[in-house]
Amino acid sequence: MNIKYWLGLYAVLIRSSVRSRMQYKLNFMLGTVLAAIIQIAEFLMIAIVLNKFGAVKGWSLHEVGYLFAVMTLSKTLYRTFASDVHHLETYLTTGDLDQLLTRPVPILMGLMSQNIRLMPGELLQGGTILIWTIHGLMDSGQITWVVVPYTLLAIVTGAVILFSIGLATAAVGFWITRINELQTLTEDAAQTAVRYPLVLYPSWLRSILLIVIPVGFVNYVPSLFILRGEYGSWLLYGTALIAGICLALSLKLWKFGLTRYQSTGS
Amino acid sequence: MLYFTLASKAYARNLHYRGAHMLHNVASALFGYLYACIWIGIGADRPLGEYGVHGMIGYIAFTQASLWVTGFITNGLGMQQAVRTGQISLDLMRPVHLFVLYMSREWGQIAYQFVYKSLPIYVLYMLVFSLSLPSYWTTLLYAFAALAAAAYMSICVNYIIGAASLWTTESSWLYWVHQALINLLAGFFIPVEWLPSWLQTVSWLSPYPYLLYVPTRIYLGYEQGGMLLGSLCWCLIFTLLSLLVTVIVRRKVEVQGG
Repeated sequence: MNIKYWLGLYAVLIRSSVRSRMQYKLNFMLGTVLAAIIQIAEFLMIAIVLNKFGAVKGWSLHEVGYLFAVMTLSKTLYRTFASDVHHLETYLTTGDLDQLLTRPVPILMGLMSQNIRLMPGELLQGGTILIWTIHGLMDSGQITWVVVPYTLLAIVTGAVILFSIGLATAAVGFWITRINELQTLTEDAAQTAVRYPLVLYPSWLRSILLIVIPVGFVNYVPSLFILRGEYGSWLLYGTALIAGICLALSLKLWKFGLTRYQSTGS
Repeated sequence: MLYFTLASKAYARNLHYRGAHMLHNVASALFGYLYACIWIGIGADRPLGEYGVHGMIGYIAFTQASLWVTGFITNGLGMQQAVRTGQISLDLMRPVHLFVLYMSREWGQIAYQFVYKSLPIYVLYMLVFSLSLPSYWTTLLYAFAALAAAAYMSICVNYIIGAASLWTTESSWLYWVHQALINLLAGFFIPVEWLPSWLQTVSWLSPYPYLLYVPTRIYLGYEQGGMLLGSLCWCLIFTLLSLLVTVIVRRKVEVQGG
C-alpha cells in the first residue's frame, strides 16, 4: 500500500462525497449564491470604510483587499477538503467517530472525505477580489506579474497553516469534547483578525497571531514581501517551512489525541 | 403564565453551559476589540465625524454587546430542526399559537444572553476602554426599550426564516444572509450615515437600522426617544407578517422523518 494507493482511494471517497452532495441541487445552488452575497457584504464593510477614509496605517484599499482575498482563498481550500475536521464536535458528541474507527482507512482520511464541501461562492468572491487588487496594484506600478506564482504559493501554504490550526483545535476535542467555543477563538476570531493588516493591533495581540495561533503567516507575512518587497523572498520559503512545522505538530497532537478517545455513552 | 414558564425553561436550560459561554464571551469580546482597533487605526490621523475615536470605540462596544440580544438568536427559532424531525406537527397541535410558542421560548433565550453575554462583554469593554454610562437614566430606559423592540423584530425575522424551512427543509442560509445584512445595513461596524448614499437609502427602507444603529445612537445620546416610533412601526409590521406566515404554515405542513 503505497502513497499512490491512498491517493487513489482518497479520490474515490471524494467523488462519492461530491455525488451525494449533488443530490440536493437546489440547496447547493442557493447556498452558492447566498454564500457569495455574504462574502461580498463582508468585504464591502471594510471597503466602504477605506474608500471613505483612505489608507489605514499605510495600507491602501487594494493591499487590504489582497489580504482579505488570500485569506478567503486559503480558508476555502482548507474548508473544502477538510470540512468535517472543523465539525469534529458532532462526531465526538454523537459517537459517530466509532464508525470511522472501524473502517480500513486512516481516520483522518476518512474524516476528510466525509461531506466534502464545494464552495464556489467563496472561490468566486475571493478570486474576484484577488484579481481586482492585483490589477489595481499593477496599474499603479507597485507590483509585476511575478506576484501571481508567489500568491498561489501563499494561498497553498496558508491553507496548510489553517488546516493545522483546525486539526490541532479539533484534537483538543479528544480531551474536552466540546470545541465549538474554542474554535470561535482559534479559527473564526483569528481568521477575521488577519483580514486586516496586523499593524493595527497592539503588540501583544500581534504576537499571539504570529506565534500562538500563527494565522499571520497565511496572508500578512507573505504580503510584506509580495506587495511591498520588504525583507526578501526568503520570507515565503520561511512561511512554507513554518507551515510544514505546524502540520507536523498538529498531526502529532491528533495521533496522540486519538489514543485518548472515549466514545460516548448513549 | 404558560408563556412565562416556556421562557424561564429556556433560560434555565442555558444555565448549564455558563462556563462554555464565558469562554465564548472572550472570543466575542475579541471580535469587538478587533473592530475597535481598526477604528483606532483609522482615527489616528483624521477625525471620525461627530463620534471621535473614543466615541467610535463606545459605538463598537455597544453594538458588539447588543448583538447577543438582537443578532445572535436561535437560527430560525429552531423550527428547522422541528421540521426535519417532524416535531413541528406536534407543535401545531398544541393549544398554543405556534408563533407565541416559539416566541416565548426565544424570550427566555434572549434574557439569558442579555444577562450572561451582553452584560459581561459590555462591562469588560467599559473597563478596557474606560467607557462611561449615559448621564440620564431616561437615556438608558429609551435604549433598553429600543433593544427590546429590536429583539422582538429579530424573533419575528427568525420565525419567518424558520417557517421557510417548511418549503426548503434547509433555511440556515437565510439566517446567514440575515446576519450579513445586519453587519452591513444595521450599522454594526459602520454607522449608517457613513454608508454610500444608495446603501443608506436601502438601509433606511429596511428594518435593519432599528436592530442596532438606533438603539446605539439613543444610548450614546445622539438621538432622542422619538426614534422609538420607527421601532414600534416595524414591530407592528413584523407581528402582522408573522401571523400571516402562521396561517400559511398551518395549511402547508408536511411531516418528515420518523
